[in-house]
Amino acid sequence: MATQVLHPAAVPAYRGGLYEWLTTTDHKKIGIMYVINSFLFFLIGGIFALLVRTELAAPGIQLFTNEHVYNEAFSIHATVMIFLFIIPMLAGLGNFVVPLMIGAPDMAFPRINALSFWMLPLGGILLLLGFLTPGGAAAAGWTSYPPLSEKGALASPGPGQDLWIVALILIGTSSILGGINFLVTIFKMRAPGMTLFRMPIMVWTMLVTSVLVVMATPVITSALVMLFIDRNYGGSFFNPQTGGTAVLYQNVFWFYSHPAVYVMVLPAMGMISEILPVFSRKPLFGYKAFIFATAGIGALGFSVWAHHMFTTGAVFLPFFSLMTFLIAVPTGVKMFNWVFTLFRGQLTFSTPLIFAIGFLTMFLIGGINGAFSASVPIDFALQDTYWVVAHLHYVLFGGSVFGMFAGLYYWFPKMTGRMLDEGLGKVHFVLMFVGFNLTFFPMHMLGIQGMPRRIADYASDAGWNDWNLLATIGGFTIAASILPFIWNVFVSLRNGKIAGDDPWEANTLEWATSSPPPPYNFDRLPEIRSERPLFDARHGQVGHGGHGKRGDDDAPKALEEGHHDSQGPTA
Amino acid sequence: MSTSPRKRPASEALVAGGVVVLLIAIIGLVFWSGAGSALYPPKAATLQAEEVSKLYNIVFAIAVAIFIAVEGLIIWSILRYRRRPGDVDLPPQTHGNNLVEALWTLIPTVIVLYLFAISWQTLNTVDYTSFANGQQPDVQIHVLAGQFQWQFEYLDSSGKHLATQTKPLGANGGMAVPVGKKVYVTLSSGDVIHAWYVPRFLFKRDVIPGQTNHFEFTVDPAEAGQTFHGQCAELCGTGHNAMHFDVMAMTQSDYDAWLAKLVETANATPPPPPSGAPTIQLAAKNIQFESTGISAPANSPFVIEFKNDDPSTITHDVQIRDSGGTVLQTQDTIPGGTSANYQYTPLAAGTYTFFCSVHSNMTGTLTVK
Repeated sequence: MATQVLHPAAVPAYRGGLYEWLTTTDHKKIGIMYVINSFLFFLIGGIFALLVRTELAAPGIQLFTNEHVYNEAFSIHATVMIFLFIIPMLAGLGNFVVPLMIGAPDMAFPRINALSFWMLPLGGILLLLGFLTPGGAAAAGWTSYPPLSEKGALASPGPGQDLWIVALILIGTSSILGGINFLVTIFKMRAPGMTLFRMPIMVWTMLVTSVLVVMATPVITSALVMLFIDRNYGGSFFNPQTGGTAVLYQNVFWFYSHPAVYVMVLPAMGMISEILPVFSRKPLFGYKAFIFATAGIGALGFSVWAHHMFTTGAVFLPFFSLMTFLIAVPTGVKMFNWVFTLFRGQLTFSTPLIFAIGFLTMFLIGGINGAFSASVPIDFALQDTYWVVAHLHYVLFGGSVFGMFAGLYYWFPKMTGRMLDEGLGKVHFVLMFVGFNLTFFPMHMLGIQGMPRRIADYASDAGWNDWNLLATIGGFTIAASILPFIWNVFVSLRNGKIAGDDPWEANTLEWATSSPPPPYNFDRLPEIRSERPLFDARHGQVGHGGHGKRGDDDAPKALEEGHHDSQGPTA
Repeated sequence: MSTSPRKRPASEALVAGGVVVLLIAIIGLVFWSGAGSALYPPKAATLQAEEVSKLYNIVFAIAVAIFIAVEGLIIWSILRYRRRPGDVDLPPQTHGNNLVEALWTLIPTVIVLYLFAISWQTLNTVDYTSFANGQQPDVQIHVLAGQFQWQFEYLDSSGKHLATQTKPLGANGGMAVPVGKKVYVTLSSGDVIHAWYVPRFLFKRDVIPGQTNHFEFTVDPAEAGQTFHGQCAELCGTGHNAMHFDVMAMTQSDYDAWLAKLVETANATPPPPPSGAPTIQLAAKNIQFESTGISAPANSPFVIEFKNDDPSTITHDVQIRDSGGTVLQTQDTIPGGTSANYQYTPLAAGTYTFFCSVHSNMTGTLTVK
């Protein structure tokens, strides 16, 4: 085997010590650093979530000395989870797999890639430094609507809010650079034979995500710069008392932040679109329909931002309501495509598939409860209540986070050369699934019964005590579910089963090289004739003949022995 | 190859039927146990809210149907299409089907267009205002929101000021409205964004500085005598969670009496400070007391002549608590630009804290000796 010539050890490994990692421009190492960095911020954001849930477990102010600290806690929770966990975690996994999936040796701009990564920990540290400043960290919510985020005495007088702005501008710049890098990589670096309509769905979703990032992020950056000028140089963009317009910020903010929801969901959709076929032993149902649906979501995603602002009285309601309803259609198409990929398959319930099914079942709820908010009169009741908190967590946790854990379990063998433990993976899933629903389902009840979000306290006779306590118990269950995952990673890195090139009998090119791949990714590439080049190599033409009467009994065996040499012509 | 031929249709029907029955049973159980009823909105208190409630029921029914259908399909696929030890052959490699793709594009499109249409219809009811239709509402109220309190200014039919209710809550506080009458509300804020939200009205509207929002509602006549809880729904700072108000639904005659009393109280000349009692001057500006240390004589009634120099939407009061945090004496809040003579009962010698009940950052030391 070619890989064994290069890596005499049983498990290939990354070369280089700490210095090599800190200065690397290798997309795989950068991708792994993205993942580790994002996971650390996931833990930080999770601690803030637990603080919030602990405060709300019962009526009264117990945990925090005052409401201001509570406001800091949920503001930083959301900011960290969105900008320093979900977006970079997905971008990091994409960073690792996209060049491999299209048969490229690296990203198009390796140094810019390293720069994009290093801006993230810098931005994160700046954000958290707010806690050391007088007045504490940003406390105006992750949305930071002015005039509350302006500099008034009862608004946000401290430098914590300025640090929040600077951190977000840095993270946004990282996103833009990363988006351009993905676009150029996908358009210019594909291996011979890898036409656009043979690209894995994961690559397609990263492509659409990158378009969204490149088009939308500069808009929020401009809003942040204007807010910074308002606060520090006497600007009056958003402050009505000096002639500004408060709602203008909301328009500009959501023009980015709604597409950002798709930035946080599309890559996770891409991941499960890779995982479901592999563990069903079937192609993705409706490959092209799926791509068109993805592009449709990307396009429609720019026309729904004001559904976050239905209650402002400054929105053309019918248009944004209609567009918001319509965006459910391509999302529904995807849901049916996924389900029909499982349908009549042969399902192997490895951890990646279980998390992918977790995505399907939970993201469905996140789609359905979103329809209530698309209906303007119902949204008048639900907006800014815990219903919205339930909805967004069913989308971003039930969708993105379950999807990304599916991806982490799926690609961990490729990243490290070792398998994660299946038993611990299933414990992780069960705890997380139960905890997730315990936490967020009761929030539907809280919201419809009238509990506003972002309140530090509530009356004991409001009827919200039981649901809140349940949600807090669920929150700690989610926290507990992370422990077996961390344990699993540490144990498996040392003693995990050796993965080999292609432990899952997968379809896409990243499995055609060693685990982990060599610095230049591929010694040779299999022939690319469809979106499943490895499947073709394993099963010949059987996948294109409609029915699975196989004629090549020895193909899987040849693959196990080392398919680099068994796969015919090189690229 | 699997050796035993499967009776596919029978087992598929069995599993599918089982899944659907199970899902319906679970959902039935949730509602039967009462937990599910919490997924329905609270009883609608206005005619507008009744329309929203009806709309909610339709959307909810469709949501439950879609939930059962799709989750059922997922669970069925999981149970039915497990890879069994004998499964060596690949399953049929179905790449897609244009007909079903078209169907599951078209059918959801029809469903969402239907939802949009009925939502729009309801929206026209909810967003109806008399003024926009050349008519006169029965009652006009101008709601002022400020960090962190509500005020309700009552206007006559020509929009002229009658009186302002500065107490949003409690025995003499709250926003009174007559049942069965068109109540037209305008909203304005003097500082940050707030939101006027009454859960049982199934309605909220943002209160945005620099922009006057408005809406209209009619309380269900059956609700006369009820008090509805309201609360700020848009994060507005430290006191956000304490920004409550009451809406009292009254019969027309009760309402008329209530409003007459409010006008009378507002027009009455404030009583002069009782002669003899020592008077202390205190002012507040920029959400701060201008003096943070005042003193009063022990065991004697005293008066604080309090001046609120903040904008009119910002309300303050001066209350007293002991070192243990127990509130000893309370006062009514006054809006910015006004003043009041707060009278206090005798206190024993010692050190106390005076504070504004609306702004937790506003405190000072009261030395009694």
